Amino acid sequence: MSLLRRLAGKRRGIDDLIFDSVNILLMLILVVVMLYPMLNTLAISLNDATDTVRGGLHILPRSFTTHNYTHVFNEAQVIRAGITSVLRTVVGTGLGVFASAMVAYTISRPHFILKRFTTLAFVLTMYMNAGLIPTYLLNRELGLIGSFWVYILPTLIGVFNLIVIRSFIEGLPETIFESARMDGAGEFVQFFKIALPLAVPVIATVSLFVAVGQWNQWFDVFIYNSSIPELSTLQYELMKVLQSTNTSGGGAADSFADSLGGQVEMVTPQSVRAAMTVVVSVPIIMVYPFLQKYFVKGLTLGGVKG
Amino acid sequence: MKVKKLSLLFMLMVALMWFFVACGDADEETTTDNGEDSGETSDENVTYHYFIGGSGRDVHTNETVIGEIFEEQTGVNFQVEYLVGDLNERIGVMLAGGTYPDVVVGAGTEDMLVDAGAFIPLNDLLEEHGPNILEMYGEYLDRFTYPDGNIYYIPFGAEINEYQPMANIDQGAFWIQRGVLKEYDYPEVKTLDEYFDLITRYADENPEIDGMTTVPFTGIGHDTNFFRISNAPNHLAGYPNDGGIMIDMETHEASVYADSEHAKRYLEKLNELNAEGYLDQEMFVMNNDDYLAKLSSGRVLGFFDYGWAFGDARNALQEANDPDKEFMALPIVFDEDIKDQYIDPPAFVQNRGTGITVNAENPERIIQYWDNMVKEENQRLIMWGIEGEHYEVNDEGRYYRTEEQIELVRPQSFQEEFGMTTFSWDWPRINGTFSDGNSIEPRRQPEVATLEYREGDREYLDAYGIDTFSEIFSLPDDRPWYPAWSANIAPGSDADIFEENSDQLLKRHYPRIVLADPSSFEAEWDTFVEAYRSLNVDAYEEFFTRTVEERLNGNWQFGEE
Amino acid sequence: MAQPVNPIEVKERIKYKGKHKVNLQRPKKGPKYFFRKCKEQKELLWMSVPFLIWLFIFKYLPLGGWVMAFQNFRPARGFLDQEWAGFDNFRFLFGSERFLEIMRNTLAMSIINLVLGFVTAVTLAVLLNELRNITFKRVVQTISYMPHFLSWVVVAGLVSTALSMDDGIINTVLLNLGIIDTPVMWLGVGHYFWGIIGASDVWKSVGWNSIIYLAAMTMIDQEQYEAAEIDGASRMQRIWYITLPGIKPVVVILLIMNIGYILESGFEAQYLLMNSMNMDFAENLDIYVLRYGISMANFSLATAAGMFKTIISFIFLFGANKIAEKLGEARLF
Repeated sequence: MSLLRRLAGKRRGIDDLIFDSVNILLMLILVVVMLYPMLNTLAISLNDATDTVRGGLHILPRSFTTHNYTHVFNEAQVIRAGITSVLRTVVGTGLGVFASAMVAYTISRPHFILKRFTTLAFVLTMYMNAGLIPTYLLNRELGLIGSFWVYILPTLIGVFNLIVIRSFIEGLPETIFESARMDGAGEFVQFFKIALPLAVPVIATVSLFVAVGQWNQWFDVFIYNSSIPELSTLQYELMKVLQSTNTSGGGAADSFADSLGGQVEMVTPQSVRAAMTVVVSVPIIMVYPFLQKYFVKGLTLGGVKG
Repeated sequence: MKVKKLSLLFMLMVALMWFFVACGDADEETTTDNGEDSGETSDENVTYHYFIGGSGRDVHTNETVIGEIFEEQTGVNFQVEYLVGDLNERIGVMLAGGTYPDVVVGAGTEDMLVDAGAFIPLNDLLEEHGPNILEMYGEYLDRFTYPDGNIYYIPFGAEINEYQPMANIDQGAFWIQRGVLKEYDYPEVKTLDEYFDLITRYADENPEIDGMTTVPFTGIGHDTNFFRISNAPNHLAGYPNDGGIMIDMETHEASVYADSEHAKRYLEKLNELNAEGYLDQEMFVMNNDDYLAKLSSGRVLGFFDYGWAFGDARNALQEANDPDKEFMALPIVFDEDIKDQYIDPPAFVQNRGTGITVNAENPERIIQYWDNMVKEENQRLIMWGIEGEHYEVNDEGRYYRTEEQIELVRPQSFQEEFGMTTFSWDWPRINGTFSDGNSIEPRRQPEVATLEYREGDREYLDAYGIDTFSEIFSLPDDRPWYPAWSANIAPGSDADIFEENSDQLLKRHYPRIVLADPSSFEAEWDTFVEAYRSLNVDAYEEFFTRTVEERLNGNWQFGEE
Repeated sequence: MAQPVNPIEVKERIKYKGKHKVNLQRPKKGPKYFFRKCKEQKELLWMSVPFLIWLFIFKYLPLGGWVMAFQNFRPARGFLDQEWAGFDNFRFLFGSERFLEIMRNTLAMSIINLVLGFVTAVTLAVLLNELRNITFKRVVQTISYMPHFLSWVVVAGLVSTALSMDDGIINTVLLNLGIIDTPVMWLGVGHYFWGIIGASDVWKSVGWNSIIYLAAMTMIDQEQYEAAEIDGASRMQRIWYITLPGIKPVVVILLIMNIGYILESGFEAQYLLMNSMNMDFAENLDIYVLRYGISMANFSLATAAGMFKTIISFIFLFGANKIAEKLGEARLF
């Protein structure tokens, strides 16, 4: 009997070893494949723009320069726009995730009378697009144009996120809620004291999604607030820099418009885009490791149950 | 049951939406406040919002040297905003919401703006406050006067005094690596056959350049750039870039050339090259970055392209300091007896311009500003800078720049801070020469161009006995309708849809024809012609014939209804 | 006659009766029942109704703008002052001789992306979940989603360089392995296009998409793993019998939602990697609408296409939800 166990144990050990080795190997390949584009972008951003045109850059700059970054930062607006970006990300994520979680809680309650109606009402909007002009007119009627809130209100609840949170809350054992109710807890208490804390991993995930969405958004700035410098965001400012760098290409029509006397000092769209990608993505990539601690296995459930 | 409820809900929404829209339209109109003072002859400084539907860097004009001077002269400054996303979307919401900036440069959406009543008529204002504009634009005024007798926007670049060609080729040409010319002792290359013979001979003798495979002939047609491949036959046949059509010099009849004998002849040549392995097949596949990288590598011997389109590669080659690897533009034609017409005739694009919207208060201030800037001395300031600082005048009264001045003016950052970048386009301006005979644009002044040439350039200029690289090109013939592509094609009109369809068709078929086995060339070509002719070619040609005819009669506003 | 007021009881009944759930909640017993319920659940109503109003204003109201699909919409005029076009815009859309080809491309790329996307993201999440070293796991995960932050312009640039004929890494590797004799012009052959798009899409988004499954795995009870280990279950068995079933509800829900997006096959990747030689396989609905709608300032056509997409989406969405229900899986609604 004990021999059998040992054998079984040993067999499991070898299996484990093979599994782990293969897994680690796969992950290392993955790291190379996934890191390459970012490193390549970094290299381009630190490489002389004219030299980059020649191609063949991989992960190290060939002709080092910080000029692409100075070009990008040369805009005085960057600081102020950065503040607006942070603000919209924080406010948008905070309010958005809170609202989503609250609605998600209601539609996770099996007895809720509007459960199906609410779910369906939200889900259907994922597949219906009113189009740019009606949306614009609506926001104009609501007085949102030229306001900070146009970044927050129209996209307050993302249906995808709503559904994801709902699925998680539904996955929680109903007995926890039941015992709370026994103690006389109302829905608000159950939401704040049970659902929210237990759904921390999914709240963290959804926060990341919303935050990244808010941070990367520039289209609403373009449509609603492009003439109001105070409400410009980092992404939008960088889009402007990029757009103004588009020297070659473009339509034949305005060809004779550009460049005055022969050649001009070089930044190319490619190198500006690279610098801009690094500037925008580094802060948000750094956020994730802080969120990762909320993904520790079984942290929450084990606690409650034990 | 469910369906019924849903549809009820939907109808309710529609009703509410209309309610909103109906209420909304009433209380619109002039809600922005720009001029603080609405007094008639206010001298107070005002700021206007100037939207430009093209790309550039947002500025406040009075933060530039020139803008500051103009503000002193007129008391007006502008917050200039360039387009970031899609133009049609931006203009679309502007029109729908009635939220116009004070000034809009439509960049192709002018008709929509006029149609929507966004622009105010400028006639009276010009009469009263714009004497210089009226003088400079003189004979062109009719071209942009609408059929209703009104002027709604002011186009850019009225040609005054004398036409000046560019010193360097920034337009279409067949380019060749200069080393090839040197190798064979600077031959005169005139016809397509001569050109390809030279290139293939060099490629045979040099299968590798710097350890890389030689690319004898390439090109680019990615995304919206297919005209960089498909326009070549037009130029080879001795026509300038009028768009997708050729205008007969005698009959003034417009004809498409995509399925003409010219196109066939060119494609057949490419087909031959491909069969012999001299054609870069990736020319139909590469994106712009890959293309520029290929050009900059120094292993490309020849290609057809527009000079303005590959500036980045040219800079990269210049920086590499190997003048023989740079490219020289050649006016290649099909046959000896064809006169090349690569250089654009004087072009006045009458359907693009800058207009004042209904939202602008005291529009006369804007007209005054424009009127002031279009004066010769201010145009000189915009184009050349300040005498003694950015240019010199020699004993004969010719403007030139010293080497230091060239270096000073060259950086983008300088041009932005000084305001040259901002004011040199998208504002009323003139082209050609000043009344003292100097070019308005420095890049067209031979004295400036020659000074910019380096040792390596001079070698070639001397070998061909020319002063500037554009000298080997013929001067443009008189084409009073030019450019035909500025015809008033309304978005979504039949002509617009034809152009899109035709572009698609060319993209689809040209590669097949070129890359086909020579034995099936004819068959591929016939398939293409058949597909092409199934489009409404005749209507399109008719439209352009009519446009040219109207233009020759002085009506530049002819358009499809 | 007594109604099950105890929610637990309701839940139990739902569990066993399944599709009778609706009947339980719908005011089958008349408005009186409904209002009594509302009163009982006023807290839940307070939590949701404000957002339903929000939803109505921001998402449903503007749908009134769909009327423009039946007009020749000119932005400067009100919705009622437009020229009516009947079904012309739909006719233009469906009447294109290339419509079938466009639909084929749209569906093909969408399905490929859907399947590839799900399989790879779930696999990656599982593999990451199996890593024992927490630091290594976090580092790998962070790196795995980095491409998500690159714009398609950057990614497409890298893809086209990698596929290039003369020094592209793909051709170099395949040549060295002896799989091909001459370099292949990958982007010049239409048949490869869907695969290229699918692979690029996975490259860009697999890490990002796996985040959600990793989060789902944190909800799996650790005791189950411990018990399985004691029972002698192998790693593969544990993955198969614990991890995958544990995230199945989330996978199914996401799958249903994405099936609704059946006509959204992506846009930027196709647009950027498309060229004259592969366009027959690259052009999808969105690109077509961009060409003849947005770039021609034809907002009506774009709206008509949007409505068409909505209808197809609903069909697929309800269908998928129904199938999930029949199979006894988690449902979206």
